Amino acid sequence: MAASERKVRVLVAKVGLDGHDVGARVIARGLLDAGMEVIYTGLRRTPEQVVRAALEEDVDVIGISILSGAHLTLLPRLRQLLSEAGAQDIGLIAGGVIPQEDIGPLKEAGVNEIFLSGTPVPEVVHYIKERYGDRT
Amino acid sequence: MRIDERGGVASAGTESGEAIDPSKEKHVNDSLPHTEAQSAAALSDAAKVWREQHYDAEAKEKGERRAFLTDTGIEVRPLYTPLDVQESGRSYLEDIGFPGQYPFTRGDRAGMFRTESFAVSAYSGFGEAQDCNQRFRTLVDWGAEQLLVALDLPTQCGYDSDHEMSTGEVGQVGVAIDTMADMEALFDGIDITQVKRVGTLGNSIGPIVLAMFAVLGERRGLDWSQYTVNLQNDPLKEYIARGTQILPAEAAARLATDCVAWCADHAPHWSPMTVCVNHINAGGAGSSRAAAIALSNALHYIDLLLEKGYGIDQVAPLLHMFPDERHDFFVSVANLRALRRSWARLMKERYGATRPEAMALRMTVYGHGQETLQEPLNNIVRIGFGTLAYVLGGASYIYIASYDEAVSTPTEESVKVALRTQQILAHEHGFTDTIDPLGGSYFVETLTNQVEDQIRRALREIEDAGGAQAVISTGLGRRWMTEGAVRRQRAIDSGSRPWVTVNKWPQRPNVPNTAFRIDSRTVQKQMQRVARVKATRDPARVEAALAAIDEACRTGANMVPPTIEAVKALATVGEICERWKSHFGVFQPSTDF
Repeated sequence: MAASERKVRVLVAKVGLDGHDVGARVIARGLLDAGMEVIYTGLRRTPEQVVRAALEEDVDVIGISILSGAHLTLLPRLRQLLSEAGAQDIGLIAGGVIPQEDIGPLKEAGVNEIFLSGTPVPEVVHYIKERYGDRT
Repeated sequence: MRIDERGGVASAGTESGEAIDPSKEKHVNDSLPHTEAQSAAALSDAAKVWREQHYDAEAKEKGERRAFLTDTGIEVRPLYTPLDVQESGRSYLEDIGFPGQYPFTRGDRAGMFRTESFAVSAYSGFGEAQDCNQRFRTLVDWGAEQLLVALDLPTQCGYDSDHEMSTGEVGQVGVAIDTMADMEALFDGIDITQVKRVGTLGNSIGPIVLAMFAVLGERRGLDWSQYTVNLQNDPLKEYIARGTQILPAEAAARLATDCVAWCADHAPHWSPMTVCVNHINAGGAGSSRAAAIALSNALHYIDLLLEKGYGIDQVAPLLHMFPDERHDFFVSVANLRALRRSWARLMKERYGATRPEAMALRMTVYGHGQETLQEPLNNIVRIGFGTLAYVLGGASYIYIASYDEAVSTPTEESVKVALRTQQILAHEHGFTDTIDPLGGSYFVETLTNQVEDQIRRALREIEDAGGAQAVISTGLGRRWMTEGAVRRQRAIDSGSRPWVTVNKWPQRPNVPNTAFRIDSRTVQKQMQRVARVKATRDPARVEAALAAIDEACRTGANMVPPTIEAVKALATVGEICERWKSHFGVFQPSTDF
């Protein structure tokens, strides 16, 4: 398949115990409608399970939805596990409720981008296409 | 009494086929100054003239600002008149009636807020029990009449604080409760007989939290009749909307109804089950479809209770509902009125209830608006209006969101604003001076009828699909929610649903650094308390209590009595849930979107 024909593959995931997945599902649907291939993990996954699914599904980017306040623990752990698996090139983006002062440390810990609740879906679509649209 | 007769006449010529009583018609004309001596036909003509020659003419010239559509899909017309009420075919006495009387459209009690205001309630919890106890004392000082404990996610999902799945979540969205020792620390110094109700959600751990509240009173030498416990204890909606499910849905429904059954036998004035519309609506279903899903869940719980041998008049008063509508103020008022009427009819017509308490639906609500991360102080206004609709709709127990709740666990200051907002609604502006003040509004009565029809149609669709369990197993519930959530998102992205600071005068979302943070000692403190409890409790007593839980899983005996013993023996929430999981299995998360 020519590189230009390959669709962007995205894993939308919920980590930890946060059960609110409407945002995750709306984003997943929006990305699908924008022509991407989307896999959703369902609720309550561990970082290990998410990384395993990302490798198995050969995704370009992982999108984590997180609203419970556990982001400072769980997001750096995901990047660490990706590195350990030799998958540094897989993008890691997060959406949800994340205080301003946490954004710097999260980016330093390898989170590529953060979208706060209320971000229009087209903005997320645009970001992913720009950044991951022409890989491989 | 003319108003009642006016209503009675409004029903004349309806499907009931009553003839118009001329003596009453005189009163109608007297009491409708705007229509004076006009007959229905003259009114119809006048309305047509106004619409075509005046409104449409102006609308054609200036254009309407936008399409006027409620979130539930009802088209809002420019004006409502007595014609709308007449054409609905409803009768005042049969369909609206009086507060505290069937079908309870105007209120669940005769006196409503004139004799007792709605309960000013606080949903609160964070960190570990001792720190949280200080907040509870403060809330009671400020005038909170009801305390609902917000539990952290590990507790709600049945994991102890030291479990791997609890990493990063202990004390985050609520207080961590691992054992009865935590519960006692949480309520230390708080007189539970001096507040109207205490309770928690505990949707997936109903028997455990019920047992803890029962033991809390017992330890203080209180009789269960001396205080009132309220639980949400509605596991079925967790599978559709909220996500704290632990077991397969059927086992969860059984444990939840065990709580209701136990209360029917031991504490019949407690409210051990609050069947929720709110999370299903917030998740996208829309308030009418969400109400229908919640009703079908309630009917399922009731059916299980009747199978256990309880009577409808015995169990229906123990169930409350938790309606929700955040988009449209008047739909919200209508939704509460329509839901009371729907409930009354189901209890009477389907189950043959005879006690008024079994037909009069009591409602708990949580005041919200469409809150934003942008300029969060504006949320005070949004939440105030959203809550006012619930007051005007006649809810009995009112909780309210804090303006920073979209950001994190609310700060003390924002909680105070929320509590004061409720007190202002209860006591200022005359909001609560007369009962059902919007009853009789042509618009609100029309909406009430339309919402009732929407709920009835959706409930029929659910029952045709197989009922409450099918809403979960066939994915119908999630499908309705996703459809609605995507529709709402598009309405926001396109601007067809105006939202200040989001799509009108848009601002960047921002989560301020002042967001409430859990004290860093919290997790450590909680771990130490659990370790201490485990080291000092009687292991043989714990094992015996857990074995009794195994036995109840096998026999189908009511789960509450052995759970009370386990709680007294200081078994942890996680230990009890592990026994349930080993018997019933665990839920499988859906990967559909």
